[in-house]
Amino acid sequence: MRRYRNILLIVFLVLFSSELFAAESAHPGLVLAKAPIDRSDMESIKRGATFFATNCMSCHTLIYLRYNKLAQDAGITYEKMPINVKTWPYGITPPDLSLETEVRGVDWIYTYLHSFYQDPSRPTGANNLLVPNSAMPAILAPYQGAQVLAQQVSPHGVFFDNVEWYDLLTLQKQGSMTPEEFDASVTDLVNFLAYAAEPYHNDQTRLGWWVLGFLVIMFVLMYLLKQEYWKDIKKK
Amino acid sequence: MTEKALTKKNRFMEWIDERYPWTEFMRKHLTEYYAPKNFNFWYYFGSFSLLVFVMQILTGIWLVMEYIPTSDGAFASVQHIMREVRFGWLLRFMHTTGASAFFVVVYLHMYRGLIYGSYQRPRELVWLIGMVIYFALLIEAFTGYVLPWGQMSFWGAAVITSFAGAIPYLGNVLLVWLRGDFNVSGVTLHRFFSLHVIAIPFFLAILIFVHLVALHKVGSNNPDGIDIKAKKNQEGIPLDGIPFHPYYTVKDLVGVVVFLFVFSLVVFFTPKMGGYFLEHDNFILANPMVTPLEISPVWYMTPFYAMLRAIPNKLFGLMTMAAGIAIMFVLPWLDRSRVRSIRYKGPLSKIAILIFVISFIGLGYLGSEPVSPLYTFIARVLTVTYFGFFLLMPIYTSYEKTKKLPERVTE
Repeated sequence: MRRYRNILLIVFLVLFSSELFAAESAHPGLVLAKAPIDRSDMESIKRGATFFATNCMSCHTLIYLRYNKLAQDAGITYEKMPINVKTWPYGITPPDLSLETEVRGVDWIYTYLHSFYQDPSRPTGANNLLVPNSAMPAILAPYQGAQVLAQQVSPHGVFFDNVEWYDLLTLQKQGSMTPEEFDASVTDLVNFLAYAAEPYHNDQTRLGWWVLGFLVIMFVLMYLLKQEYWKDIKKK
Repeated sequence: MTEKALTKKNRFMEWIDERYPWTEFMRKHLTEYYAPKNFNFWYYFGSFSLLVFVMQILTGIWLVMEYIPTSDGAFASVQHIMREVRFGWLLRFMHTTGASAFFVVVYLHMYRGLIYGSYQRPRELVWLIGMVIYFALLIEAFTGYVLPWGQMSFWGAAVITSFAGAIPYLGNVLLVWLRGDFNVSGVTLHRFFSLHVIAIPFFLAILIFVHLVALHKVGSNNPDGIDIKAKKNQEGIPLDGIPFHPYYTVKDLVGVVVFLFVFSLVVFFTPKMGGYFLEHDNFILANPMVTPLEISPVWYMTPFYAMLRAIPNKLFGLMTMAAGIAIMFVLPWLDRSRVRSIRYKGPLSKIAILIFVISFIGLGYLGSEPVSPLYTFIARVLTVTYFGFFLLMPIYTSYEKTKKLPERVTE
């Protein structure tokens, strides 16, 4: 998994960073936080869709999530997204997110959205632990609050110097959400993005159990059939 | 079928048989095709290969109904299949999982041939035709991997077609001829589509037929590697032979259900296999301007890719990789042992097989990992041991002491 994380990170940097050659990799030892999503929780997905429509849709498209009742219910209006900007700041078009969880995984997005912090040296006024010098502004800061880099960091891995994003950042001033509310909202959002990438996922799992059950019954029948035929061979 | 049913053929079958050898064919290849009665676990994988082939053809037919083979439409049409086509996701995951499953079963099928000496006289042609199938399958898999037109499709195609460019003098001409363009482009995608859905499957179907014809001419080998035709009863039926149908058809059905169970676990619960069956980068639309940091082929090609990377010179690397596949073709003429099966070969052969397995799996792992000095060193060692297994075979198989063969097959 490490390999893919690194590749993806580089691809991401290439796509995102205006300062391509100055780009650094993520904070060493930073591990991805586990996104506690429940993919069968349709309410969470709908809340996430609403959150997406409110906060993300002005820049990010979801081109493959089409003709979808859920998206319409949640107020995602394709003709209005993304906002009409002639030239994006830093020359970087925000990526389409319909397959983002496939490319990076849910934990990556969950960690990325948590790990913005204030950095006056950046034109956006914010920086990110996972994607240093990200072109994306800290769009969720009004909810999460203002984070700054922590003064003291103590790695706590068993074999490696693992750090979680919250070890590296300190919440200076809480936003409109408590940390728990913010976690829940980001979970919903990530859950929605996972849905947007694989809308068939729940059907897939449900059908999977039926198929496996069918095959177990078939196995018993086929095994008995085989035993019946092979009785005469064993006697020889 | 019982004898009674055969003698009392109905008039319809008589009418058919006067015009087409239906009953004759069924007897020759199923009800009176005598297979050794001691087939074990390893003998399932031939049937599984055929099953996966049929499954790939069927799911492929339905995928082609919605897929668009152009650089503009390919990636989006795959998402259309996954999202808007009813059960499209199932067709696609069956097809992508089928590609990997095909190699799993074919590799195990080949390993069976290797340990039980199924390539030895008189089955050299069965092995050779099988190797041609394997080679065609590699091309089929490669052309298929390009079709979703993601980043790995594009860059994988760029890397693999660039191999042709390393050939002296002809390289550049060949490269453009292969790609149909000066770079991998929509033209390349379109011709790979044609090869993937028509040319190679057609060729494969013929090859599989010829593989079975050759097998049925010489008869199946068995885990003991002894000739069951040497001991026959008064009616000329091998004492250790049993009719393929119904005995092995019902036995294979049990195997097929188990295979489908494992296959379904992947299709329904982890079709991407953590990036081994479907790579994460392939969910990004092909972009000629952005090179992924690490371009690695799918797992079934990584053993040979590791050989290529282990050699510093590109042309020599390519030759080594080609030789790695080519040397398997001449296997029947490298084995000088008097016995076929590993059961009766000496300890040297057993150690050699073990070394071969370690080399092949090891190279497969290294080929999927990023290059590092240590890994390159290990890849070189394993490349040497891989070739050592084949090249030293004439020596260790002719000098080692073999065990005494049994008169009849063992249980």
